[in-house]
Amino acid sequence: MRYFLRRLLQAAFLLIGVSILTFLFSALAPGNYFDEMRLNPQISPETVAALRVQYQLDRPVPVRYLRWVNSLLHGEMGYSFAYNSPVAPLLWVRARNTLLLALVASLIAWTLALTLGIWSATRLGRLPDRALSGITAALLVIPDLVLALGLLIIAVRTGWFPTGGMISVGFDSLSPLEKLRDLALHMALPVTALALSALPTLVRHVRAAIADALSAPFLRVAASHGIPRRTLLYRYALRAAANPLISLFGLSLGALLSGSLVIEVVMSWPGLGPLLLEAILARDLYVVIGGVLCSTVFLVAGNFLADVLLYLADPRIRTQVAAR
Amino acid sequence: MALSYENTEPLLIVENLKKFYARRGVLGTKKEVIALQGVSFSIRPQSTLALVGESGSGKSTLAFCLACMERPTSGRIIFQGDAITLFDEKQQRALRPRIQLVFQDPARSLNPRFSALELVSEPLLVQGRLNKREREDRARALLAQVGLPEEKALRRADEFSGGQKQRLAIARALALEPKLLILDEALSALDCSVQAQIANLLLELQSLLGLTYLFITHDFAMAGHLADEIAVMERGKIVELGAADGVLREPQHETTRRLIAATPRLRGAAHLPQVV
Amino acid sequence: MIQRRGWKRWLIALAVLHGIVASAGFFTPYDPTEQDRERPYLPPMKIHLVDAQGHFHLRPFFYAEHLRAGSFDQFEESTDQPVPLRFFVSGVRYRLFGLLPSGIHLFGAQASRFYLLGSDAYGRDQFSRILYGGQISLLAGLFGAGLTLFFGTLIGATAGYYGGWRDGLLMRVAELFVALPWLYLLFALRAFLPLAVSPVQAFFLIISVIGAVGWARPARLVRGVVLSAKERDFVRAARGFGATDWYLLRRHILPETSSVVLTQAAILVPQFVLAEMTLSFLGLGVPEPLPSWGSLLASLQQYSVLVSSWWMYAPALAIVPFFLGYLGLASALQQDTGAGKIVNMTDET
Repeated sequence: MRYFLRRLLQAAFLLIGVSILTFLFSALAPGNYFDEMRLNPQISPETVAALRVQYQLDRPVPVRYLRWVNSLLHGEMGYSFAYNSPVAPLLWVRARNTLLLALVASLIAWTLALTLGIWSATRLGRLPDRALSGITAALLVIPDLVLALGLLIIAVRTGWFPTGGMISVGFDSLSPLEKLRDLALHMALPVTALALSALPTLVRHVRAAIADALSAPFLRVAASHGIPRRTLLYRYALRAAANPLISLFGLSLGALLSGSLVIEVVMSWPGLGPLLLEAILARDLYVVIGGVLCSTVFLVAGNFLADVLLYLADPRIRTQVAAR
Repeated sequence: MALSYENTEPLLIVENLKKFYARRGVLGTKKEVIALQGVSFSIRPQSTLALVGESGSGKSTLAFCLACMERPTSGRIIFQGDAITLFDEKQQRALRPRIQLVFQDPARSLNPRFSALELVSEPLLVQGRLNKREREDRARALLAQVGLPEEKALRRADEFSGGQKQRLAIARALALEPKLLILDEALSALDCSVQAQIANLLLELQSLLGLTYLFITHDFAMAGHLADEIAVMERGKIVELGAADGVLREPQHETTRRLIAATPRLRGAAHLPQVV
Repeated sequence: MIQRRGWKRWLIALAVLHGIVASAGFFTPYDPTEQDRERPYLPPMKIHLVDAQGHFHLRPFFYAEHLRAGSFDQFEESTDQPVPLRFFVSGVRYRLFGLLPSGIHLFGAQASRFYLLGSDAYGRDQFSRILYGGQISLLAGLFGAGLTLFFGTLIGATAGYYGGWRDGLLMRVAELFVALPWLYLLFALRAFLPLAVSPVQAFFLIISVIGAVGWARPARLVRGVVLSAKERDFVRAARGFGATDWYLLRRHILPETSSVVLTQAAILVPQFVLAEMTLSFLGLGVPEPLPSWGSLLASLQQYSVLVSSWWMYAPALAIVPFFLGYLGLASALQQDTGAGKIVNMTDET
């Protein structure tokens, strides 16, 4: 238990550090949301000044930071100038969408990675394995921006998938099954792009872990006892390979969550990515900070999840921790 | 137990040297926390004192203290009349040319990327003496002195054999014209046949250049071959000290006897006394 | 120690690729900013050897384009006007590698503009813009990586060599940076700096921002190497003849870090090129009129372009051979030197 508390504490410090960092950057930034307004002759300088006071932009940075932390403790995250609403609800909706995307993509990527990785590891060095290695290498070489754009073009040319948004107009009037179908269709492209971007590394790791486990001495002994191949694979090798793979799962989830920014923007998926981008272009301070913080939370949560899973899965870790 | 001769001023006097380590693996991970527990001895100029002991007895610690690579916890070291334990950074830097150290494994003590010439002239470069031309000349002379072929001067260190590497290390140690040369197990990493060659080279150099040696080893046979006096160390203390012949023929301390009995013969060293 | 083997081949391949981009002036027929408003979104032109009358020409040629009757944006070939393609023609002047003035281009035509990869909204030659854009994007990646590695090495070496409180502090900060979602941070950083700056300023701004974000991982790797290197016997020996800290670092310790640094370079450069592309694509990077692979792709954000002008995707493919080259180089370096526990290229998130 103490082990987890410590990790939580570390994570908390990290988040505090990130929030300070982002706040600091904002302090150094010339210009703010209201510069645009100031240029507009229709709005009087007094109004702008009043708005500034209202949004507390006239206070020194440390004060603003502390107030923000204070509001954070009350479950709020500041105010968005552009949307004219509190930041927190905005973030939750978008974060939920991003989470949905990342979870589905994770699921698909891992299922594929496990299947392909195991399949490849059991045929090490032979043609199917090398073909797969070639394909993963090719995929690795294609950056996610290129992949996303490419998929988008294909979608547009074939017309099979909608090219933006999460749901169609008139979503509410559809039957539940139709709603699911609509959502799935909209999700198809971004999920594919995300999954494909994560797939090559995952496949490589799975393949390596299984290959290592398969060549371990204890496995050969088991084989010499006449244990059938399938059992060997699934009950022995997989268990042994589980360790690194479980940590990887947590890490990949975190990475996927924060790495989906580009894909969301390209595919117009209403997640954190596009929100952050808009906020940046509009200099919507608190939204930017909230967005960065949110994605950091995702990363940290992913690492933490990896730790928890590992703890639960590997008895060696449990004894190590208990011994401290 | 200090032994000194009244007719010659000792080059080096060590008085009650102590060294304690805090628990950090400073010298290398396989060593325990070694202490020097009050070591005293002296060395006459142009003689050789062999320091014999097993691993962990404190030999290397002593070597590093003498070479100013470690600060002793207490005690004094007097070199050529100066109490060097009291020296500050600057004085130490000026002192360094006079005491040099040759390490055990030349593969590790020579940077493999450097050429022979660069290696041997490095001390000169670091001390800021001589210009480039002079350094090169001196380096070549040193290489010749240790018996390394001229053509190999520009080869990288890792292209030399073990024995040749150690010759390089010796040449490098001689670059600054030291008075005292500390040889920390300098022959231990070499093949047997090569050991004899290097040992003889060391003897030649000693008479040629008037060097004083502190020869650290765990090999009694080699100690007997090279040394005028032998000191035996165990667990941070000197347990026996005397003229080489005497120690070998009539070891007083039980540790000395044990070590002598365990030593394999050096080929061709038939003059060594038979020890039971 | 680096054993000279497979990585050299990759380096040569990369050098060739970079060389082509660096000599963009020679390889491309036109200035990348030269507009032709009458020919927007022209598809890539076909090269013919046989004309409409069935005659074979030795010299390849193409047809000028005119607006299809009754259309505002559809073009078709004017099959009565074959325009021969010439090689080593003299055309618009440029400076090779930014230094040598020249006017020779690999290929070109006299009577009409030849769009090898089509044109963009302002009638600018995409092929030229891709090659010139590569200069910006690659430079950004190279400089950014250089900056990152410089700071990473500096900080890592300081932490590793001096240890103590410096080490503790620097490594805590590094942990913080490593845990950050760097793309988000990059964006935030970029956003908080003035949005409307001159192209040159923007370029350097981007490089600094990119460089400032990624130093943590190289720093940790360098620190590891320095920690073990400073305990080596040959370092002690050098101290034994009175070498100063600076000398030790310069001549003995830092050279030991070379394999780690080079491998990191091979991994970081493509990541930073991609970062620049992403920033420019989203309008936060190098602004007009400087072409960059990212900004060339920005037009794809319009639905109409997506549907009808597929050739605008070409800049995206341009980065692929470079990624391949760098990835291959990094792999080969890791194998040949066993340097650093770098798991994969997407380790940085």
